[in-house]
Amino acid sequence: MIEIEHLTRRYGSTVVVDDVSLRVEEGAIAVVVGTSGAGKSTLLRMINRLVEPSAGRVLIDGQDTRTVPEDELRHRIGYVIQGYGLFPHRTVAENIATVPRLLGWGSKRIAARVNELLDLFQLDPAEFARKFPHQLSGGQQQRVGVARALAARPALLLMDEPFGALDAVIRAKAQEDLLAIQRRLGTTIVLVTHDMNEAFQLGDRIAVMDQARLLQYATPTELLTRPAEDFVERLVGTVERPFRLLSLTGVQAALEPGGAEGEPIALSDNLQNALSQLVWSGRESLPVADPNGVIVGRISVGGILAHGRPPA
Amino acid sequence: MSAFSILTRGLALFMLAVFIFAPQLFAFAFEPLTANNAPAIYNQGSLLSLTLSHLRIVVGATLASTVVAVALGIFVTRPAGLDFLPLSRSLVNVGQTFPPIAVLAIAVPLVGFGEKPTFIALFLYGLLPIFENTLSGLTQVSPLTLEAAKGMGMSPRQRLFQIELPLALPVILTGIRLSVIISLGTATIGSTVAAKGLGEVIIAGLQSNNVAFILQGGLVVALLAVLIHDGLSVAERAVARRLGRPADETT
Repeated sequence: MIEIEHLTRRYGSTVVVDDVSLRVEEGAIAVVVGTSGAGKSTLLRMINRLVEPSAGRVLIDGQDTRTVPEDELRHRIGYVIQGYGLFPHRTVAENIATVPRLLGWGSKRIAARVNELLDLFQLDPAEFARKFPHQLSGGQQQRVGVARALAARPALLLMDEPFGALDAVIRAKAQEDLLAIQRRLGTTIVLVTHDMNEAFQLGDRIAVMDQARLLQYATPTELLTRPAEDFVERLVGTVERPFRLLSLTGVQAALEPGGAEGEPIALSDNLQNALSQLVWSGRESLPVADPNGVIVGRISVGGILAHGRPPA
Repeated sequence: MSAFSILTRGLALFMLAVFIFAPQLFAFAFEPLTANNAPAIYNQGSLLSLTLSHLRIVVGATLASTVVAVALGIFVTRPAGLDFLPLSRSLVNVGQTFPPIAVLAIAVPLVGFGEKPTFIALFLYGLLPIFENTLSGLTQVSPLTLEAAKGMGMSPRQRLFQIELPLALPVILTGIRLSVIISLGTATIGSTVAAKGLGEVIIAGLQSNNVAFILQGGLVVALLAVLIHDGLSVAERAVARRLGRPADETT
């Protein structure tokens, strides 16, 4: 768990981060969004003390980060930046081994960990371990960047626009992969982005920043239904609002008893996808199947639409 | 390197070695350049020992310049030394704008005749290329790479030795190569202040108006320069390749 308390950063008379407090639960993903220059990156960099706060403090599992030597602190916190900053003179395996080597792990343990991570990120060790960063595609570089950050099993991962350099198709896949890996490892993540879709897709909670201030820190649903300020409302997009809300709600919520004709929708899917299938197939309702393929009920256009507006 | 260029380099090296060890074999080629029955081949000392002392002084001076210039380059790119960057740049530039002959003229009264003044001139002359290349090598390391290194908890010393210097190495080596080549030529004027070196041959030729001597001295220095230049280029490419960069990026 990380607690950010009244964190402030000033450069001369300019305030870059103004009295921000927020708390990220163990194993959760907090996404910080905002326009460029809002202070998101500075906030993130104060967590691993790449930027020293002017005021306030950061607690990681109750421990004040100022009481830990800088380098030691950073060994324990994974860090991924836009462009990844892979070491061009080191192979993929050596890049991933960076923090374990700094920590003085034995070479066998390092090799085992590197292979484990390469497997986890779907990079065949035999093919990729000895490659150099310039021989990798953008998506592969991104995976190596995240693998490197996770090498020493940090409990906390900081990510600054980690998908910013990827094209749309690869980005969607990379986001899914990150979610899957995060659910598996239970790593706490603080991620900075300016992409609202990314925030809604990844964030358990979203922090909206503007002009150095934290405007709202809430779950995606709350952000949509109860925006704290006009700026938040504009940022989440008034047009996309209903669809975002639907995408955050599972099929389960609008499940009705009974059956229907047509291709069944998976129970694990969200309402936005269900609606899109209904529109495309031209039907009023579709059957819903559980993971074993058993039809458990149906879903209708009217039932879905009721979930696309704030509760009265 | 193509087979042809390896062959020509090998041939050049062989000819050079034969000429240094047994210059009399080539007397026939230099005879037409002499007048009044002057000797065709330098006869006031062994070419071999002159070449060796020439190389010794060049290597010694370049090593000294390398140590000082690289250390200085590292210092002025650290946060503590940034203020000294302009100052050290101008100091090193002065070393370069000073004509070597003037350095000799100033150094002789201070340290006497012989190798010392030559060493000082070559040392000062060799600083600039190495210093400039160390600077550009260190400053061209991507800020992203450094940010990542810092963010993963590398100390400043670890960043310098594990990231910055390895990445700057090919560029620094280029500076050392330039410096060696300049020094090889410049060292010949050391003979005007009695440093042992190939300059002796040239000066003897000038004094006795013997074109054959001048040509011999010049040829040996030029061949040495070409061969050392090539050898060091090969080393640079090997380093760059080991650093994971395609060779064509560094040439």
